[in-house]
Amino acid sequence: MNTFKDLNIGLGDNSKEITDINLAYLLLAQRLIKEDCAMAMFRLGVSRELADMLGAMSLAQVVKLAASNTLICRFRLGDHMSMSAVVGGEKDKSLQQAHMSILMGGRQMQEAALA
Amino acid sequence: MSTKSVLSDAREVQLAVSLIELGARLQFMEANVGLSRERLIRLYKEMRGVSPPKGLLPYSTDWYMTWLANIHSSMFYGMYQFMKKHSDEEQIHVLIKSYRLYMEQVESQGGEAVLDFTRAQMMVRFFDSDLLHQCTCTRCAGRFVTHAYDTRQDYVCVLCRPPSRAGKAKLNKTPAAADSQSMYPTSATYLLDPAGDSHGLH
Repeated sequence: MNTFKDLNIGLGDNSKEITDINLAYLLLAQRLIKEDCAMAMFRLGVSRELADMLGAMSLAQVVKLAASNTLICRFRLGDHMSMSAVVGGEKDKSLQQAHMSILMGGRQMQEAALA
Repeated sequence: MSTKSVLSDAREVQLAVSLIELGARLQFMEANVGLSRERLIRLYKEMRGVSPPKGLLPYSTDWYMTWLANIHSSMFYGMYQFMKKHSDEEQIHVLIKSYRLYMEQVESQGGEAVLDFTRAQMMVRFFDSDLLHQCTCTRCAGRFVTHAYDTRQDYVCVLCRPPSRAGKAKLNKTPAAADSQSMYPTSATYLLDPAGDSHGLH
């Protein structure tokens, strides 16, 4: 009984945390898109169509979309090779960030080309 | 002059102000902003308190191949190309925005912008005239700036295989130190290689 309850609370917390992150992500995305669409597309890694759609969503729609037990944003360094290239080695922080930034630029291009 | 609308004139001035803030050279502004040379010079003096620098624009493509410069150039060009391809803004605004993104990224890490605006803008020109290309690194799949004639199948980028003196140049924080470094890896680089490989494998 006790363990079941604990488990239940655990799952509830996770799903709430995910909802919070979804909501924070969507609201941030909307703000970035409203500020500057082209820059937001690069930062978020989304296409023009998606950026327009996100920017035009109402608060009610955002809240509804966020309320889920799965994350709405995806990990962008999606393959092991790129990930280990960025994380591995004894690079200092600014170099690591620069490397990631370079990979992000190329990645979005590739995905957009496939779409 | 009198046929020009006041609004579009204001837009041109705004554009010139943004460009001067970023450190654009007069030659570049003359070509891209619809204002007379005299007005540009007056604007420049008012904002910076000094006359615009004279002299030639940096026209060497080799600069972009030195270690730290190559990292920064590749970072900037990735941003520029993404925006150029996916947004419908004019080229000059894409340039300004991607340069701001680049500055923001570098400054957030406490570094300094190795690539200045003039170098960035010249790089775009070099790409447009096919003097520079991008190569995909076979280890990290990132796209890096290379010479147009230097397209190799087994390209490994400067971050996956840093030249032996790379760290020292960074520590001294003198761009001149990075400049003096050879553009081709020295034999010592290959001594470092086994370590690099083991990282890739595990």
